[in-house]
Amino acid sequence: MTASWLPSPLRSFLHQVGSYAWFVVDFARATARYGPPPGQVMEEAWRIGIKSLPILLVISAFVGTNIALQGYNAFRPLGGGRLVGMFVSLAGVRELAPIIAAAMVAAKAGTEMASQIGVMRIREQIDALEVMAVNPYAFLVAPRLFGITLVLPALTLISIFMMLASGYLVSVHQLGLNGSVFLEFATQGIAAVDFLYGMLKAVYFGLVICTVSCFFGFTCARGPEGVGEATNRAVVVSAVVCVCSNYFISEILYGRLP
Amino acid sequence: MPDLAILAAPAAAVLAPVRALGRFSIFAGQVLRRALRPPWYPELVLEHCWTTSTRCMVPVIAVCAPFGMVLSVQGLSIFSMFGAQRLLSSLVSVAVLRELAPILASVLVAAQGGSSCAAELGAMRIKEELDATEVMAVDSIQYHVVPRVLALTLATPLLNVVGATAGILGGFFTAVVVKGEPAGVFINEMWTLTGPADVWGGVVKTTVFGAIIGLVSSYHGYYARGGAAGVGQAVNETVVRSTLAFIVINYFLTSAFFGSVGGP
Repeated sequence: MTASWLPSPLRSFLHQVGSYAWFVVDFARATARYGPPPGQVMEEAWRIGIKSLPILLVISAFVGTNIALQGYNAFRPLGGGRLVGMFVSLAGVRELAPIIAAAMVAAKAGTEMASQIGVMRIREQIDALEVMAVNPYAFLVAPRLFGITLVLPALTLISIFMMLASGYLVSVHQLGLNGSVFLEFATQGIAAVDFLYGMLKAVYFGLVICTVSCFFGFTCARGPEGVGEATNRAVVVSAVVCVCSNYFISEILYGRLP
Repeated sequence: MPDLAILAAPAAAVLAPVRALGRFSIFAGQVLRRALRPPWYPELVLEHCWTTSTRCMVPVIAVCAPFGMVLSVQGLSIFSMFGAQRLLSSLVSVAVLRELAPILASVLVAAQGGSSCAAELGAMRIKEELDATEVMAVDSIQYHVVPRVLALTLATPLLNVVGATAGILGGFFTAVVVKGEPAGVFINEMWTLTGPADVWGGVVKTTVFGAIIGLVSSYHGYYARGGAAGVGQAVNETVVRSTLAFIVINYFLTSAFFGSVGGP
């Protein structure tokens, strides 16, 4: 039964959400039953990590420099140029590093998942897998999912480190602040539990990126435009879902603090 | 004379990015030259600008508003330690206007508009539609690429303004409606650290970023190869490389605007 009284963009949106939910349910059932093929998980983790690492390093370094510059400029009129260390560590560790790592993995590994699986779909290789009695969800999606949830927390920690290091370099060498004051304020701003929260966020973002990208790959339309469209949607939708749910996660984790 | 053949593989690995950069520069030069001489296609520019803006509008708002809200949550959790909640709205407006809205809007335009530009041009290349355009004595760069680049250059600053508005409204919503801070203080303190110059700075920055996105995405789409997989690859590289390019450039622009060397 179709709800024809709804406007059609909304209907197709709801249709997409519904088929995504079914995709996740099917996938979870298949994975619980068959499990990922042995040896594939570490290989996917390695591939996702290595592919995203160089770009993540560069982007995190430049984001760190920018937080330091902007924090310095925002606090200096209030006489708080020394607070830059705290600002860099808070903004970097709590919010920016998990989001930047997730965005880069979505742009690099997520788009690759969508286009690989999309190409397999339009070349009917997925149908061929089913003919061979291999479950495509367990065979294609499960290793990627376990791989990304293993590697994204690690990438987040690396991104935190790069942000703090580049923020330190800019504050000390470009803005002429005292290095030990920077470090003192930086360690005051954060606690060890913040790293844990960052990694929790990263695991969640990994689940979102992988399922969304593979979903768009599986539902890819025919032809080269279909693959382009699926890849495009994979990165946009996973970025939007990650950022939107990040608000609620932050609200739960940090909103209750005094 | 030693045998230099063993150096061939590392040399090729070093030279490949240099070659790609050179090809990209030549392509950018061609686009620029054709943009400056007639025939112009203003109706195509407007059409692409309209499609890009409408397609990117929802993602930009959906990303910028939660970021403003997160900024309020984290800002309040810090400022309430010092009892300085009144500073919140100036923090929100500085962060959103100077950095978050330009960067997020550009990332989303790269992910949505740039990648669909690469996908369209790539599909045209694979289906030999670009060659067909050339056969009809129409310059394919002038007809297909230049309007797309101009449209992205125009649409990104517009979306930046939309994103900034959404971010500040998101921050306002969380601070005032959810956390119960007084609305008057929020509005009153908003412009203490920022001014119209920051809005224009964001517009200038995003115009540059939009041009970069347009050039990078149409370069990857225009030279796509290898069937459907090649189009996917082109889309992937568009998003990653244009993000990389404008985040690096952003540091230098920010340094030029605000990064004066000196103590507090």
